[in-house]
Amino acid sequence: MQGSSQGFIFTLFMLNHINPKEVFVLIPAYNENAIIQSVIRDLLPCQYNIVVVDDGSDKSLFPLLNKMPVYFIRHRVNLGQGAALQTGIDFALSKKASYIVTFDADGQHQASDIDKLLQAITNDKPDIVSGSRFLEGASHNMSFKRKVLLQIARYVNFIFTGLLLTDAHNGLRAMTKEAANKIQIRENGMAHATEILHQIKKKRLRHIEVPVNIYYTEYSTKKGQTLASSFRIFFDLLLNKIFK
Amino acid sequence: MNGIQILLIGGVVVIFLYYVFRLRNALIDLLALAAFAGLAIFFILFPDYTSTIAGKLGVGRGADLLFYLCILLFIFIIVKLFARIRRLEKILTDHVRQTAKSDAQFLDDNKAKD
Repeated sequence: MQGSSQGFIFTLFMLNHINPKEVFVLIPAYNENAIIQSVIRDLLPCQYNIVVVDDGSDKSLFPLLNKMPVYFIRHRVNLGQGAALQTGIDFALSKKASYIVTFDADGQHQASDIDKLLQAITNDKPDIVSGSRFLEGASHNMSFKRKVLLQIARYVNFIFTGLLLTDAHNGLRAMTKEAANKIQIRENGMAHATEILHQIKKKRLRHIEVPVNIYYTEYSTKKGQTLASSFRIFFDLLLNKIFK
Repeated sequence: MNGIQILLIGGVVVIFLYYVFRLRNALIDLLALAAFAGLAIFFILFPDYTSTIAGKLGVGRGADLLFYLCILLFIFIIVKLFARIRRLEKILTDHVRQTAKSDAQFLDDNKAKD
């Protein structure tokens, strides 16, 4: 479908240290029917293994992806993004992935940023790298309200995990298979982002942040986190601290 | 016996019978429930005794004591239910994940071409 341009880009990527065939990109998707195809089309030239975890979307994403070379996993019921990520991690590890990348399905991440994360892994040898919108070299177009919310979230995360990051809720991460083996997400909902940090701290994984670009579209803003959902995350964290 | 007493006793009896016939609990549960229902009916018929107990505990009225105890019970039930929901969620997650992984497939573009 993509023709010969794919081969050309493939050779370009071979210059990289990491073989893209060892990389599994996990895309947890819930009702992303409108945009999932274009998100994957952007990723295809990079030659990574792509794993779409359809988290019980109302209408299965299967017909939309049928013509694309991706792994397709579907939860029969909607469990939440945390659960979808863990399913994807299990699957990627069973396929002998060396590196696992988590990537949002709503189109706000750039396919080219994955390479930046992988470069950071080869250069600095951390166990896990996450993207940050706020480091130097990153760009974003977020509203003031969202910025304030993310600032508060940073400190909430710090209280719960002891890690103070520049970006609290960035869905773009890359980890080695060793780190993926150690991380067990039990938070099915959105609180998984904080849980991952908690486990990084607890299991003494080396973690760094890399600047990435985030482009909010009208679509991703509508699908994304709101003030109300931040409260929900906060109470999830609080309750689950009590009920281990 | 006044109206509210009939209403409350009727309610206690209906709940008790419902438990006995629908939920088929273990004998020990049934006995505990019977004792509880008997106690409830006793206090409904002779509400002054609750005030005596309340007075001993430093609470003014029997109705107030009952109110405080209900709040405690309510919180206890919420905590129990929350723990149970968490457990069920985990079972559901494990199950859904397992089926999802065994149904995982690679969607090849070659297959779709014909």
